[in-house]
Amino acid sequence: MSRRAQPADALRWAATLGALAIVVFPLYWMLNTSLKPATEIFLSPPTFASRNWSLDAYATVLNQRPVGRYFLNSLVVALGTTVLSVTLAAFAAYGFTRFFPRGATPFIVFLLFTKMLPETLLIVPYFQLMSDLGLLDTYAALILAYSSFALPFSVWMLIGFFRSIPRDIDEAAMIDGASYLQAFVRVILPLARPGLVAVALFTFLIAWNSYVWALVLTTDSSMYVLSVGIANMVGEYRVQWNELMAAAVIAALPVMVLYSLLERHLVDAITSGAVKG
Amino acid sequence: MTTTQGRTTPWQRRRRVGYAFIAPVFLFLCAVVVVPLLHALWTSLHRVRGLNATFVGLQNYARVLADDAFWHSLAVSLEFTGLCVALHMILGLALALLLHELRFARTALRIAFLTPWMLAPAVGATIWLWLLEPQFGVVNYLLQAAGLLSAPLAWLGTPGLAFASVVTVDVWRGMPFVMLLMLAGLQTIPREQYEAAAMDGALAWQRFRHVTLPNLRYLLVVSSTLDIINTIRHYDIIGVMTAGGPAGATEVLPVLLYNTAFRGNRFGEAAAIGVLLLLIVLAFSIFHIRLTKPEQGGAAA
Repeated sequence: MSRRAQPADALRWAATLGALAIVVFPLYWMLNTSLKPATEIFLSPPTFASRNWSLDAYATVLNQRPVGRYFLNSLVVALGTTVLSVTLAAFAAYGFTRFFPRGATPFIVFLLFTKMLPETLLIVPYFQLMSDLGLLDTYAALILAYSSFALPFSVWMLIGFFRSIPRDIDEAAMIDGASYLQAFVRVILPLARPGLVAVALFTFLIAWNSYVWALVLTTDSSMYVLSVGIANMVGEYRVQWNELMAAAVIAALPVMVLYSLLERHLVDAITSGAVKG
Repeated sequence: MTTTQGRTTPWQRRRRVGYAFIAPVFLFLCAVVVVPLLHALWTSLHRVRGLNATFVGLQNYARVLADDAFWHSLAVSLEFTGLCVALHMILGLALALLLHELRFARTALRIAFLTPWMLAPAVGATIWLWLLEPQFGVVNYLLQAAGLLSAPLAWLGTPGLAFASVVTVDVWRGMPFVMLLMLAGLQTIPREQYEAAAMDGALAWQRFRHVTLPNLRYLLVVSSTLDIINTIRHYDIIGVMTAGGPAGATEVLPVLLYNTAFRGNRFGEAAAIGVLLLLIVLAFSIFHIRLTKPEQGGAAA
């Protein structure tokens, strides 16, 4: 490797940090605003760092606004979706990678098709069906709706992970007298644990970040998930931007922590190896 | 390896077990995806008034296709998607090229750049509502302080600016992921190819043109097709920021669909718009699936 020009390196760093400043500025502004007292929000020029920073807006949002409730709703729905999707997906991914080594093309194409449906098309029948069934404003409706996009995603990612477990391993277990199901539960699932955890976290994040489904399937504000609750706060009362940004931080923080932990799996998981080609 | 003598070969038995493992997901997907999809098709052929539905054939489609709002929305959708995807790709690749050559802090920088993509789009859009707020928003302040603006702008209040704003937010959110893909792609290019090019006296631009781009071509095509599919059906950012306004300037098809159903209470027409949107997405999906050949263990997402 030949490295010559130092000025080029300096330029590269300058460009990178400049781009970074622009990209993360909105997030800094969210944090900055969330820490300001209400009186400082409408100062001109705005304060970029303040001696009056405090967690007051967070306290208000959690005690006087239903943000804690939104958080709980998001948690229940995202967890429910994850457990349901990953359990079903594990069976399918095992079946697919073990019994159809040459590929079950129709199944895979069906899976991809379901992944690419526009969600706005599906929210219409979901709204009609759930209101007919009297299931609007229930966790069940949200979990079922979320599974419609989370499940194809989980299956797709898990297939990638299951492929990397050599098939000799379950065949060895079966020679020892284990049934297919036993080989799956006792041998393969433990081996696939890192993959299952990663897929579960991704599924959780996708569910946590989703918006339009919950927007349509909940009308009672006590059933709002965080994304819907936050977006609705903009219109509801005279907007308290510091409180709104505090709520946004509460919604964003868990997601950022989890994604950062998963970063090295991200490309593989989402593209199933598109990059390696 | 498989012999085909006997009534049920081990291979056929294996297949049956395989179907048993796949069946739960298949049935569940039928329940949560196929049934609602068929219901949407049914709705698109009916006029729905409360609990009453009358069959109207293709009337909803005819009405949608005769409505200028649909064609306007289609145009906005294509402009929005084209612009956003082009910018995701160009900026994502540019950032990847910058980061790829850095010698330290690469993981930290990658994660930092990725943060906009991690957020819920609806939450990201809410943050931007505050940034772009006309009176107290920091964007107006910064642009005025830099001398680029003489008076504050109502970013989401005028058609052209509103369109530019939602594109900006979508690019802000979508570009980091392309950067991540391109970084992974860059890592697969053998060093020797660059060294050979350098030996031939190729300049930086020529190395990019003749080594980097050809190596990334497949990845660029696959990820932009995927990005088109994801951007053309995306609702959240525009739904939160402008709900399609002002004067329909940002009313992309998913937003038109939402507004028709849930503001206009015209479910039949909304479902028809949805089916038309599905056809557009499907065209790109078929192209994507053919390109990546997933049945051969290829890539798709």
